[in-house]
Amino acid sequence: MFEQLINWFPEWARPFIMPMITIGIVLQVNLGVCSYLILLERKLSAWMQDRIGPNRVGPWGLLQPVADMLKLLLKEDVIPGHVNKFLYVLAPGISVFTTMLAFAVVPFGPVPRNLSATDGQFPYIIAPGVDLGLVFIFAVTSLAVYGIILGGWASNNKYSALGAMRASAQVVSYEIPLGMSVVGLALLTGSMSIEKILLHQVDAGILGWNIWFQPLACVIFFAAAMAEAQRLPFDLSECEQELVGGWHTEYSAMKWGLFFLGEYTHVITISFLTSILFFGGWHLPWIAEPDSQYLGSTLVKVLVLLTKSFAFIIVIQMLRWTIPRFRFDQLMGLAWKVLIPLATLNVVCVMIVKQFHLNEWWLLPMSAGLFLGAGLIGTQSSRPFARKTLEPVAEAHGHHAHAH
Amino acid sequence: MDWSKENGLLIIPLVLGCFAVCWLMPSTRQRPRILGGLAALAAILMMQAMLLPPAGDYVRSVLFFVFAAAAVISAGLMITDRNPVYAALWFALVTLAVCGLFLLNAAPFLSASTIIVYAGAIIVTFLFVIMLAQQSGTATSYDQQPIQPLMASVGGFILLGALLFTLQEWGHIDGTSTSEHAEPGQFIALPKEIEPNPLSQAPHDNPHEIGSLRVLGRSLFGDYLFSVEIAGTVLLIATIGAIAIAPRRSQGTL
Repeated sequence: MFEQLINWFPEWARPFIMPMITIGIVLQVNLGVCSYLILLERKLSAWMQDRIGPNRVGPWGLLQPVADMLKLLLKEDVIPGHVNKFLYVLAPGISVFTTMLAFAVVPFGPVPRNLSATDGQFPYIIAPGVDLGLVFIFAVTSLAVYGIILGGWASNNKYSALGAMRASAQVVSYEIPLGMSVVGLALLTGSMSIEKILLHQVDAGILGWNIWFQPLACVIFFAAAMAEAQRLPFDLSECEQELVGGWHTEYSAMKWGLFFLGEYTHVITISFLTSILFFGGWHLPWIAEPDSQYLGSTLVKVLVLLTKSFAFIIVIQMLRWTIPRFRFDQLMGLAWKVLIPLATLNVVCVMIVKQFHLNEWWLLPMSAGLFLGAGLIGTQSSRPFARKTLEPVAEAHGHHAHAH
Repeated sequence: MDWSKENGLLIIPLVLGCFAVCWLMPSTRQRPRILGGLAALAAILMMQAMLLPPAGDYVRSVLFFVFAAAAVISAGLMITDRNPVYAALWFALVTLAVCGLFLLNAAPFLSASTIIVYAGAIIVTFLFVIMLAQQSGTATSYDQQPIQPLMASVGGFILLGALLFTLQEWGHIDGTSTSEHAEPGQFIALPKEIEPNPLSQAPHDNPHEIGSLRVLGRSLFGDYLFSVEIAGTVLLIATIGAIAIAPRRSQGTL
């Protein structure tokens, strides 16, 4: 549909036209959506806490994001005198850059099969045909922690440094279950490309969605991704009660805003990935099938994907006021003692099914069994374990007193 | 004499680079840093003539020079920077630039996994430790002086020289003896006399397949299975050792 536009350009420029258009659309939509997601989050928080929420600017407070953005842009941008200026200014940029870059390989609509850069089809993805889309996303989002670390260190503030240190330990730990959780998907599909994983589910119908075979991986992926994005209940790096604002304590105005733009972009990416990897992407039975050709079917497919992603954004925002924040040792324990072993066992299950050519439906009871087993071990072993670890300490104190 | 004439093009930049790194190392005396910078620049420019890639795609060549220059210059700055935090950040830049080179050489998986492991985990851990030791703005005197700058740079450059000589002997990387046209998917064309590993089970007839995940997996877990298993065992031993060294909770630590 863009063929005439593309042919108007000289030949060497043609491969760049569609990506430019796509980047422009994604950037604009993302900025708009981020500001309204903040309003939605405030409204949802208010609703869950029995408050009214922002309602002064415009009807039902709908113009609040505009006012917020104007405020952020016009506010005085303070750079404290004691900071390391270069890194202080660089940090918010890294934060936004990495999270936006991760979105480059996330499809946001029905990606046409046999796509070429110059035939004028709208690609619905910024960088089509990346063979290692999943690995690319993990590589890029693992760099996002630099924004936090540098921001916290350059601020030259004890609270910021504490927040940055918590963030670095957390992100390094949670990368492992995040990566392990999708290995099963790669084995089932035979590819690391996000587009191929999507098409594989679409062709198999609703009973081919990965959630049926990998429910445990879905839970692990979602939890680890929220930890990577520093969202509540994993936001120990900025927890207001202990650390003022954590790593962004010394930031103000639009630099502070950029950190949050990065965080919300990360949340959007997580939601898209969860709905694409596990819930069939734009597929919905009878309405958005791969062979549905009615007028506006493409639009319907985009809307289906957006609705699924929106549902996950709502879930993430509701989790914020549902689960209290972890203690730091609980956070590390969750990653190393629960998520990583579970993800590894999940991969082993997929390998067993693939190796012995079992029916893929065996994975559903296997995942459920793993989940229940982990829960059983967790509830049954925690109390005696706590007593066992406490006793020697008391004994040691006793000996100490006796010696005196 | 012939030998020195033949290899002068390698020796002069090596000596110049060694001098530059020595000169730029942080020290108590004030030195004009510009002198070291100029020497380093001269060394890089002379070396660049040696490492000219075969004439290929214009965009590819430009990208190669951008990544290569970024890697070499960041590496120099990493060694000579006075502030350990900046040194760690230069290290991150070196990693990213080298990953760019991997991408150019059609090894996307190697590139992505290097970013995840090095830039995403190891350097973050470095930064973590450095930040624990040094707050920004506080003037600490330790860790700011190199211990043996001269010996270290001479040793490093002897190693680099040995590597370059070997590469020159082996791959004829003087820009003339490689084939004129780079294969698609490779940057520097493979020398003609090097055959693919005859024992390899991975398919190697299609040059576009080189570096793809499928071929990489076949190669790692087919041709090099023994090495992979040994590496895995070594890592497992290291993990067990770390757990054994860590103090027990009953001993009063967290």
